[in-house]
Order: sequence, then C-alpha cells, then structure tokens
Amino acid sequence: MTTPRFSSRKFRCLQTDTVSHDILVSIALLAFGTVLCVLTRKATQNLLNTSFIYLMIVVAIARFTTGYLYGILASVISIMSINCFFTYPYMRINFTLDGYPIAFLSMLVISSITSATTTNLKAQTRIRIKQEKQLAIAEKEKMRANLLRAISHDLRTPLTGIIGAANLYLENDSQLDDQAKKNLICNIQEDADWLLNMVENLLSVTRINTSSAKVTKSLEPVEEVLSEAVQRLKKRLPDAQINVRIPDEFLMIPMDAVLIEQVIINLLENAVVHAKSTQPIDCYITYDDTSVSFHIRDYGTGIPEEKLPVIFDGTGTAPTDNSDSSRGMGIGLSICQTIITAHDGTITARNIPSPESEAGQRRLTPFHRCSTAAEKTADPQGAEFCFTLPREEQDIIQTEENK
Amino acid sequence: MNTKTSVLIIEDEKNICDFIATALLNQDYRVFKSYSGTDGISQITSRCPDILLLDLGLPDMDGMDIIREVRQWSSMPIIVISARTQEEEKVLALDAGADDYITKPFGTSELLARIRTAVRHLSGANGQGNQTHTFEAHGLVIDFDRRRIFVHDQEVHLTQVEYKIVSMLAKNSGKVITYDTLISHVWGPYADDNNRILRVNMANIRRKLEQNPAQPEYIFTEIGIGYRMIDAD
Repeated sequence: MTTPRFSSRKFRCLQTDTVSHDILVSIALLAFGTVLCVLTRKATQNLLNTSFIYLMIVVAIARFTTGYLYGILASVISIMSINCFFTYPYMRINFTLDGYPIAFLSMLVISSITSATTTNLKAQTRIRIKQEKQLAIAEKEKMRANLLRAISHDLRTPLTGIIGAANLYLENDSQLDDQAKKNLICNIQEDADWLLNMVENLLSVTRINTSSAKVTKSLEPVEEVLSEAVQRLKKRLPDAQINVRIPDEFLMIPMDAVLIEQVIINLLENAVVHAKSTQPIDCYITYDDTSVSFHIRDYGTGIPEEKLPVIFDGTGTAPTDNSDSSRGMGIGLSICQTIITAHDGTITARNIPSPESEAGQRRLTPFHRCSTAAEKTADPQGAEFCFTLPREEQDIIQTEENK
Repeated sequence: MNTKTSVLIIEDEKNICDFIATALLNQDYRVFKSYSGTDGISQITSRCPDILLLDLGLPDMDGMDIIREVRQWSSMPIIVISARTQEEEKVLALDAGADDYITKPFGTSELLARIRTAVRHLSGANGQGNQTHTFEAHGLVIDFDRRRIFVHDQEVHLTQVEYKIVSMLAKNSGKVITYDTLISHVWGPYADDNNRILRVNMANIRRKLEQNPAQPEYIFTEIGIGYRMIDAD
C-alpha cells in the first residue's frame, strides 16, 4: 500500500510498545464511539448521527496510531457495527442495504487519507528532529575544533620557546656566557611551568561528567580550599602578594575541592599577571544563608570595557594584540566558568570605579541619569572577580552535627 | 661509604629516573635504578635499600601491589611518585602503607625535603637516640611530656581532642596524614568516617595556632587527602 522503502524502515522502528499502544487506542476509541452511538440512538433514532460519530472515531484512530492498518481496520469495524447494531435487521450483517458499498468505500477512503496525512506528518517531524540533532552535533564539533585549535596554539607557543632555548644552548654552548645560559634555562623553566598550569587546567575539565555536566561534590571547609589554593599559587609565583581573609564562622559547602581550587588559582593568577599593580590582591569570603561568595579583587588597571562581556568565553580573547594573547588567561577563565556552572554557581567580573567617581556618581544619581558615562571615563580602581556557590540546606548540616 | 643512605628508584620513564638519580647523587645518596616492577621487587629484596621511591604507573604491574608486597616484610619508607592527580589513588596508596607521596611534576628541592623527612623518621623508628620529647618549628613548640604547646613563647590551650590531633601531626611532621588515619587515632577505629568533626576541630586548632588561619604556617591542608605538619627545625 505504501512505498516499500518507507514501510520497511517504519517496520524497523516499530516497537512492541507502540503496537500495543496503537491497539489499545483503537479499541478504546471504538468502544467509546459505540457507547456514544448507543446513547444517541436511544435519544434521537437518527442513523446519520451514528454514521458521523463512527466517522469521527475512524479519523481519530487514523490520526493517533502509526501506519494505515489501524485506520482501515477501524473503518471496516465501524461499517460492520453500524450494519450489525444500528440498522435493521439488528444483530445481523446485511449487505443488501441501499448505498452500503458507497458508505463502506467512503469510510475506507477517509481513513486512508487521514492515515497517509498523519504518517507523512510524523515522518516529516522525525526528519526535522534528525536534522536538528545533526546540526547540534555539527555545532559541537565546530566548538571542539575551535577549542582544540586555541589549545594547540597556546601549547605550541611555550613549546617553541623551550625547544628553541634548548637547541640554542646545546649548539652554541661555547659561545654563550654564563648569564646568557642562565637566562635560557630560566626561560625554559618559565615556559614549562606555564605549560604545566595549562595542562592541569585542561585535566581539571575531565573531572566534570560530560553527559550531565555535573561534578561529584563533598562538603569541604571554605577556608581550607582557599588557603591551599593561595599556597599553591605562591609556590609557583613566590612574588605574588595576596591578602587572604576568612570569616570567623566555620563554613562548609558542597563542592569538588580540586576544581574550586583550580578556579581560585586561575583567578588569582589572572589578577597577578594582568592587573599590573604593586598593591596586594585582596581575597575574601562573603556569605549569607543560601550561598558563599569568593571575591578576588585587585587594584590594577582594570579590565578593558570591550573585553568584559566576553571575558569568560575563551575564544573571544584579545584579537588586538597577538603577543599578549598567547599568554592570555582566555582558556583559564573559560574553564573557571565551566567549573562554576557545573557547581550550579555563578561567576562575574567587573571593574571597580575609583572612589572619587563613585562619590560623584552618588551625588549625581538623584538628579541625573548620566552617571554611567562618568563611570566609564573614570579610571577604574582595579577589577573584581567573584564567584558564588550555593550552600547546602541548613537542616542537613545540623542533623550531621547532632549525630 | 656504607653509611650513605641508599635509595631505590622504581620508575619506567628513563628521563625522570635519571633526573632523580642525578639530584640524589649530588646530595651524596647511594642510588639504584629500576625501570620495571618485577625488576624493582628483585632489587628491593637483593639490595635492601633504606628508602624506596616508587612510581605507581608501571608498565608491567600496579605500583600498589609493590607497596603491599613490601609491607608484608619491611617497614622501609616508601615515597610514592605519582602522575595521577586523583586524590583517591593517593589515599589508597597511603592506606596501603606508603609513607608519603609526591606528585609529578615536582622540583628537586621538594623531593629532597620528602626524602630527608623519611630518613629522619627512619632513624627515629629504629631507636637510634633522637627520640624527641619536644617538637619545634618556626616558633611553634610542643612539649610532649607535659602536653603543652607554645606559639612564639605564648602558651596555647587546646582541648584534649585538639591536642591529640596536633601531637599526631607533629610526631609525623613533614608527612601527610590521611583523614582516616587521624580519625581512627583520635576517635578510635569505630568512629564515624564522616570527617566533618575533624575539619571543625582543625578549623579551631588553626584559629588558636596560626597568626592568619587563611595563610597557615604550621599545618597545611592536602585537599581530599589529609593534613601535613611543617617539618621540624
């Protein structure tokens, strides 16, 4: 009846539960129709109503089942039951009624057309869903390729430095003085450190479950995570000046401590490298009943306004200066966002306006709405990165304490 | 010649093995190298090194098996070298009997500090004098006989539990002590394995001992693994 290619494919995706579902739907609708007919019959004695009710049922069955079979079966059954129950002689099949073949044929045609339309519709929906899926996969592939390209570029730069310095050292051993040799070795170490940091960042992403984009959390004390992160950063960047303050209250929140540590290290390193400030970085905690926020605030040059909206994108970093972008924290910051999102938290970056412009802004606000312009022209007093993690419900912690 | 401390390195990466060996030879250790697990085990039994440096990811066998095998007959210090950053594996290795771990990549100074710590605990365990009654590091003084603790000559009062934790860490200073080890030492083997109570006590200890609990000087956290007390002066 249908094109063989189509029906064979459909047959493959037919599953037992769709079949039983279709049969159930058909039986239920037919029974419902028959009951309705009996009721209207008792009320009006009009055969036309009966026919229309069965017609409606046949259309409904053709619409809500898969394929042609159920609709056609339903039309046959409908004709039979009209013939048997609702026309004289009752309870007997009589094929000699006037116009019977026409009624039968029109029922068949209607059910076939409805089935065909429905099947078509379903097939089209399926094709559309499939296309959308393919599009999504293509998009993902594109993102992955972009990320890989960015990473390879970032990895190649320090590797070039390492290989170059090592070659130079080995081939020109006699011509180099001690200072030059030391410089070369220092460069190699710097590049290798940077590479290690990069690889650790990339590895940390593998701790996030790829299918659910969630992490395995356990209750960890905020102060321990924060202090260890600062300690690890200081091991790598001994000159970094960081003021750490923790709240007096003992706070434990659910997290993957290794990942959160990575976020803190990335943000601190970003502040150390990019703020270009001699003042120490402030690192502190604020909290309320539902969440804990980690603040990393520097007193440096601030973040360029045009970078602020894309700062966590990873790909949108500094197309302007290539020399700097190779050392940029683009991937580091985007990994921060990935980690925080996997924790159901939020991460923000903002410039903090200098106190004068802030004061001016406060004076102006009641009368003028132009304060934003003033804020933009004033030199920012550094930048603040802040990420917020949800706290576990208070009662769970209390029951644990009671134990 | 024979008084030199001997170290056996079991590590399949030749580059890393050589770099460790060079660093140790410069510090006057006797060094044996082994590139596989089976060879490593035979060298352990034939040479009886003082200290074992063991890489967990060996080509022919799991480093964990070597730890278990050695622990059946020897208490020689085992320092695990691991590229794996997964903390559960470190905890497993420590619980199986490893004394300490160091994560790749590491600097020579870090490695040498770990080995010195191991050597010190080795001589302490063998009872060659050195049985300390006090612990001193960076202004922190613990008098084990009188159970008193001073920070920069100021006496600090700890609760029983807090003192137990601190003294346990101090007696193993420089080594990482896992949460489970600490909990069973302080609260007994049947204690709840929920380590929240330990964390709370540690927070209190830090507030009493450290100038700034956020930048600790004496007790360091190894996230997901345990705590490490600073090495004694």
